[in-house]
Amino acid sequence: MATVTPAIESHSDGHAHGHEHHHEIGFIKKYVFSTDHKVIGIQFLVTTMLMLMVGGALALAVRWQLAFPWENMPILGKIFTGEGGQISPEFYTMLFTMHASVMIFLVIIPVLAGAFGNFLIPLQIGADDMAFPIWNMLSYWCMWPAMACFAISFVAGGATAGPAAGWTSYPLLSALVNAAPGSGAAQTWWLFGLTLVGFSSMMGSVNYMTTIINMRAPGMTMFRMPLTIWSMFITAILQAFALPVLTAAGFMLVADRMMGTCFFIPAGIIVNNAEPTVGGGQPLLWQHLFWFYSHPAVYIMLLPAMGMVSDILSCMCRKPIFGYKPMVYSMSAIAGLGFIVWGHHMFTSGMNPALGMTFMTSTMMIALPSAIKTFNWIGTIWGGRVRFNAIFLNCAGFVSMFIVGGLSGIFMAAVPVDIYFHDTYFIVAHFHYVLFGSTLFGVFAAIQFWFPKMFGRLMNDTVAKWHFALTFIGFNGTFFPMHLLGIAGMPRRYADPYLHPYLEHLLPMNQFMTISAVLMGVAQFLLLGNFAYSVFMGKKTGRNPWDANGLEWSAPSPPGHGNFDVPPVCYRGPYEYSSPEAKAIGQDFILQTEPPVDASKIAASDTKNVH
Amino acid sequence: MIASSNGWWFPGDAMSPLGKRIDELFYLILGIVTVVFVGTQFALGYVIWKGATKKDGESAEFSHGSHSLELIWTIVPAFVLVFIALYQMDVWAEFRVQSYYPEQTQEDGPKFEVTARQFEWRIRYPEAGQPLKNQPEPQDLYAVNEIHVPTGRPVKFNLRTDDVQHAFFAPELRVKQDAVAGLIIPVWFEIPVAGEYQLLCAELCGWGHYKMRAIIVAEPQDKVNEYLARLKEDQDFDGVVKDAEEE
Amino acid sequence: MLVKTNRQFTILTIGLALVSFAGCSGSSDYPEAFKSRFVYSDRTDSLIAEAQNGIGELPGVKKLVDDRFGDPQDLMAWTKLPIDFGGISGKLAETPDASIAVKELKISFDGELATAENETILLQFVTGTAAPSVVVVNAWQPETGLASLSAAMEVAPAAGDEVIVGGGQKLVHGRGLYMRHCSHCHGTSGDGAGPTAQYLTPRPRDYRHGVFKFTSTDALSKASKDDLSRVLRNGIPGTYMPSFVPMLNEDDLADVVEYVRFLAMRGEFERKVVSELASDYSEEAVKSRRDSGESRKDIVEELKSFLAEDMQDSLEFVTDDLSGRWDSANSEDALVVPEIARVEDTIESRRIGRELYLSKTINCADCHGISAKGNGPQTTIYEENPVTKQLYTEPGLHDVWDNVNQPRNLTQGIYRGGRRPIDLFRRIHAGIKGSRMPSFKNLKHEDIWHIVNYVLSVPFNAEPGHAPVATSEDPATAASL
Repeated sequence: MATVTPAIESHSDGHAHGHEHHHEIGFIKKYVFSTDHKVIGIQFLVTTMLMLMVGGALALAVRWQLAFPWENMPILGKIFTGEGGQISPEFYTMLFTMHASVMIFLVIIPVLAGAFGNFLIPLQIGADDMAFPIWNMLSYWCMWPAMACFAISFVAGGATAGPAAGWTSYPLLSALVNAAPGSGAAQTWWLFGLTLVGFSSMMGSVNYMTTIINMRAPGMTMFRMPLTIWSMFITAILQAFALPVLTAAGFMLVADRMMGTCFFIPAGIIVNNAEPTVGGGQPLLWQHLFWFYSHPAVYIMLLPAMGMVSDILSCMCRKPIFGYKPMVYSMSAIAGLGFIVWGHHMFTSGMNPALGMTFMTSTMMIALPSAIKTFNWIGTIWGGRVRFNAIFLNCAGFVSMFIVGGLSGIFMAAVPVDIYFHDTYFIVAHFHYVLFGSTLFGVFAAIQFWFPKMFGRLMNDTVAKWHFALTFIGFNGTFFPMHLLGIAGMPRRYADPYLHPYLEHLLPMNQFMTISAVLMGVAQFLLLGNFAYSVFMGKKTGRNPWDANGLEWSAPSPPGHGNFDVPPVCYRGPYEYSSPEAKAIGQDFILQTEPPVDASKIAASDTKNVH
Repeated sequence: MIASSNGWWFPGDAMSPLGKRIDELFYLILGIVTVVFVGTQFALGYVIWKGATKKDGESAEFSHGSHSLELIWTIVPAFVLVFIALYQMDVWAEFRVQSYYPEQTQEDGPKFEVTARQFEWRIRYPEAGQPLKNQPEPQDLYAVNEIHVPTGRPVKFNLRTDDVQHAFFAPELRVKQDAVAGLIIPVWFEIPVAGEYQLLCAELCGWGHYKMRAIIVAEPQDKVNEYLARLKEDQDFDGVVKDAEEE
Repeated sequence: MLVKTNRQFTILTIGLALVSFAGCSGSSDYPEAFKSRFVYSDRTDSLIAEAQNGIGELPGVKKLVDDRFGDPQDLMAWTKLPIDFGGISGKLAETPDASIAVKELKISFDGELATAENETILLQFVTGTAAPSVVVVNAWQPETGLASLSAAMEVAPAAGDEVIVGGGQKLVHGRGLYMRHCSHCHGTSGDGAGPTAQYLTPRPRDYRHGVFKFTSTDALSKASKDDLSRVLRNGIPGTYMPSFVPMLNEDDLADVVEYVRFLAMRGEFERKVVSELASDYSEEAVKSRRDSGESRKDIVEELKSFLAEDMQDSLEFVTDDLSGRWDSANSEDALVVPEIARVEDTIESRRIGRELYLSKTINCADCHGISAKGNGPQTTIYEENPVTKQLYTEPGLHDVWDNVNQPRNLTQGIYRGGRRPIDLFRRIHAGIKGSRMPSFKNLKHEDIWHIVNYVLSVPFNAEPGHAPVATSEDPATAASL
């Protein structure tokens, strides 16, 4: 059956003889090297879901070592590691480096901007496709060389070594090829991979900005855009301005490694008995450049999820978003402040201590817009009529976990406290609450919410609820204790923390966390299974299964080539749930394309509603 | 609290005066955060419960927000956050800004040099009575993974690295400072009570990152002097004194 | 689980699961080290299968090694080796009443029993009718030496029977620590080929030659226990060997040292047994013998008679040599002790030292270079591999492990074997074992001290290699590194 994919079904629906003039687009052009934003979006989504499994497997290997240090690792141990399936220390450094790299660069950034950005932007603003469809296609196909580079970096360093400098790749560990196992070829391939991911993001973000500015449907003013679009727009701006810095830094690092420059390498350093280095560079320069990108990148990894959750919450509560403009302003504030807080990653790095105070103040300030958003989400649910399905649960999980992640951030924003918490598990807890607890729950909600639009079918809600419940329990069981580990002073990236007597008693807690992590990992098969099953066998549905307002819901499910059978015109904002206007036509929602309803009708229904 | 009764809390009370103040700040933030956490999670739970239990036919409220509420929840957190930021400044200044270091350390100068390398800590003391120079001197004394400092007075030392980046982390003292290639970073701490304290590395430095365990021994000044004398004796050992035990 | 008394060797088999550690550090709930097996050396693998695996009842190299050393999960304590396996020996004080089930024994120990009450521990009979059985002791009364057994004994022992309590516990403890701290570089078998080893320069030590570089003993002696423990304490500057203090306490250090010596002896034993066979029964030798007309069947027959008749003497010789040399390394006689105290470190002494350094007879500069940067002319030659008689593919001096091992750059102030004057003295006197640094034991000790004084001044010499000059009251303070 050809009903799997969006393009065909809608066309065969739309006009019976539509097949003929699409025959010229071959299979490959339609599904593989497609320029259709929906196909690209779905390609991104499926790829990132696969990468999520890879990153998850790496995480479980890390957790294995922390719970059962030096014991023979099941399954993976046979393939990669040294004697008897033991995780050797350099293999461990590779595991957490690649876990972070895969999760950040191949899962979270592409799933938000790549998958949902692509799929939703034209649909929600009423455009027939992206401004630059071919760039869009290239942006996806840049991911594959990037993934290939990352894959090569697993093996290029030797049997048990891969990139071992952490995802932050601090020099000199990353700058000197002898500094660690895997600092050689593996690190080079990793940097190439990073650069290619950067190209992909850059092509995407230029495309998104152009599309959002130029291709909105008639009537779709900036302040009628859904918050998803706002978040994508702001994210694209962040990418466009921050990413070149990282790319430049990456090139500098590659030059240091391969061309004998010394941007980051001071003189007289001896590693692994190699010749002393010559040069007058400074490793701190990398940290500044890296975090100048990577702090905004934290918001790149969060804002789109915030936007999508805002959309979904409003719909699932049948209530307009609370404080639309404050939401937009706070997102813009996050983006703006995001550029001047990078130093809070470097409080203990030895940079000028006066900067510590500056960055502490700006960091405290960036907590503010996040607080505003949280209050607004609660305000949105407040007084709403909640549809208590898995989608809503994931959104609520998002808000709840974001509160934890946001509040734990305050500890480390405070410099003196950060002296103690820097590079401990408290940090690990914090960013997992933000990146997994918030972003991924947001993504889970978004997958299920827009699934009908992608495939014309619904995902199974019961399975999805189980998935949510198990993930939520497993997630908190894994990551909440990390706060306690951090307070107990357990440093990050330790293959065997129990060598230190004051950490010995933490072993049972780590074992508990690992069991929780396995639970969480297993739960993801429910999502994958549900997704795969529903693509083919899910319950069929119409254009607007959630009674939502956005422009995308006025298009067929799945939308055909060119998206809209009727060119959309936008008459109102996206969140007019339960408005008098909606009630006047007997619904609790009103599509953005719905022409204005007569004032008299509204008045009539008003009096009826008053009793 | 469950956590602290199981030892899932700080590794003991802070053993340095500055560490105590860091802990106080931590508890201050913990207090604020706990209130906010409980408040927001409760509010979230409450609105979800109310929203999910609406009766049939009851529709959602139609509201686009409230300007005054927005103002309240902008200004109040802003006030709290700025307060937290300003309240922390002086502890930070004392820890890191050299002109705010205790006067004693300014007079004494650095007492020794700690050099991190993959994967151990090498300590260099100047000869008794001599100031520490940045370059090694012939009469310098060397030790590995063991630092002896006098109790009851602030001690400043130079931190550097031989190779990649490391971080000097003494959890009981609440001290952490990265050692960056090419930089010599002055760090200070004060330990009022004699004892042994942990020292470890907190910045990824390669496969042996977790192995960088050392101890800081705080003891009265005369004991430190004795230790340095022992160190010197051992370092100058020429193997001839028959009775001298080979370590 | 036996104390075997074999024709040639006595072995205590160590029951791992049952041995508990008295007074060892570390938390007890820390998981046991990973499971891994000993491997055999390449030279063993180069023998024909019959020599490796034995013929019928006759043991080959592998079995000879395994019988004496076991594998990491089931270690053997071969009592002929000069290794402190742990445990304490004693004698049965009273003959228990054999008419009832024997569940209690009274033992008098040679030393103090370092175990707490209610600790499960193994007791092994070395002599008497009960030998070689092993019993499990549930509880002790350390004052009286009364042991309660977990089960009644099958054969009643008699007073005066020799026993060992907690046999092998030091070795087992050492193994656990070794697996956790050392094995990822030095390998389970001590072959210097753990997973991390391939990335390190210089390579981690391969113990199996029985050679350790930095020792306090004379040129012909093995490393003493103190030497190994000193390396564990101080690390080896300039390499990835870190200091393991305070990670390991005194007991831990001693046990790791015993385990490392155990591995070294295992490797050396294997090497030596292989050497007995390699010239005639390696795959290569057998091939050339067959080329010259012998049939494989005859060769195997010959091997069989060798294993049956001559191997016995060879093993005895190998064993005596092994245990004798490892044992004597710990004696006072083996220690290098200067005849005179260090010559005062004056400009004059350094000047003499420099002249000796450059002299034709001693010629340190030939390797270490005139300016002491470790770049003498010898560092660029292509050496011949002493075993294969072929040139190495890389220029430079090689060590017995076939790795390039260039002379130290003396200007850096990094002294791998230690920076004390006595350490440098011993490096010169006894050489660095396994490397091209020869022993200069025939030099006058006074001269060695002059060289030591010169070498120690090199890092502080503004122009390394030039004659030392006085620039201030202390000549070296003005210099920079």
